[in-house]
Amino acid sequence: MVIYSFYIFDRHTECIYSKSWIPPSEMPQPPPSTAPPPPPGTSHNDPKTTALPDRTRSSQKHPRSAQTKASDDAKLIFGTVFSLRNMVRKLGGDDDAFISYRTAQYKLHYYETASCLRYVMLTDTTAPSMRNVLHQIYINLWVEYVVKNPLSPVEHKGGVGVRNELFELGLDQFVRGLN
Amino acid sequence: MTVFALIIINKAGGLIYNRTFHEGGLNKLSTNDYLVLAGTFHGVHAITTRLNPVKIERPSTAASSGPGGAPILTRPDPPSGLEVLESENFRLQCFTTLTGTKFLLFTDTTQANISVIMGRVYEMYSDYVMKNPFYQLEMPIRCDMFDRKLSSHIREINNK
Repeated sequence: MVIYSFYIFDRHTECIYSKSWIPPSEMPQPPPSTAPPPPPGTSHNDPKTTALPDRTRSSQKHPRSAQTKASDDAKLIFGTVFSLRNMVRKLGGDDDAFISYRTAQYKLHYYETASCLRYVMLTDTTAPSMRNVLHQIYINLWVEYVVKNPLSPVEHKGGVGVRNELFELGLDQFVRGLN
Repeated sequence: MTVFALIIINKAGGLIYNRTFHEGGLNKLSTNDYLVLAGTFHGVHAITTRLNPVKIERPSTAASSGPGGAPILTRPDPPSGLEVLESENFRLQCFTTLTGTKFLLFTDTTQANISVIMGRVYEMYSDYVMKNPFYQLEMPIRCDMFDRKLSSHIREINNK
């Protein structure tokens, strides 16, 4: 069993924690950009382009840097689990819960707490149900190291208070112990 | 061992067939909700193919060589989208044909051999829908033979 990555989303749909255990050499290659580069010279005089903030311009220079790709992936994953969860609740009733889905390449596991925190884990296809694992992460790591941390804010906007040393270390050890 | 329902989605994401075999397994939705569900699933399915976290291994061309000794250039399988979805109350198996039509089979969580049932459903679709001269491609399926054969086959499974 291989664990690829792990995400936590808060109730404001924001990704407050993400971690990947895939070495960069095994990441899928980004598809070659099909859009032709803008003709030179036009951008210099265009006031709209010069008004762009620095961040946007640098991201255009490197179309898919690792960080943008990670945050894009997190958004896509949230959209997917959100839609599937709503679909499952519509069909199976309000007490039904979305557990996991599998494609030919990977398996995605989902766990939602009563406070609308959403835990998502991507593994290979042979992995058994990871629902209890995600539950354990919630009980033993999240509650212990994030909720009980007196310096941690109530809302983790931008991931504040989640990326502390104890939580990171505990999560890494726990996941490595599973393999 | 119960098969709850079958939904067929055409390659554009439109609902073309919707049939419930077992009352009480899934909530009853309005036709409009089923259309929304089909469209949503179509979109989510496309996203799940893009979320693939690992690189697809390229099969080595040296191992397989053609009759003339020239290597056969094989193309790796494209990443597949969602195949099985599990929830507490049901299991959803999705089968995508090469032309992009999706078959969604809803069963209870203990149902075994879903791929066999799916293969049989696809066979019936090819026999009684595709070979029906009055059927227009990508349009809702209204074929009596398909309805009849499908219900008798699923009834057999549900009564086992």
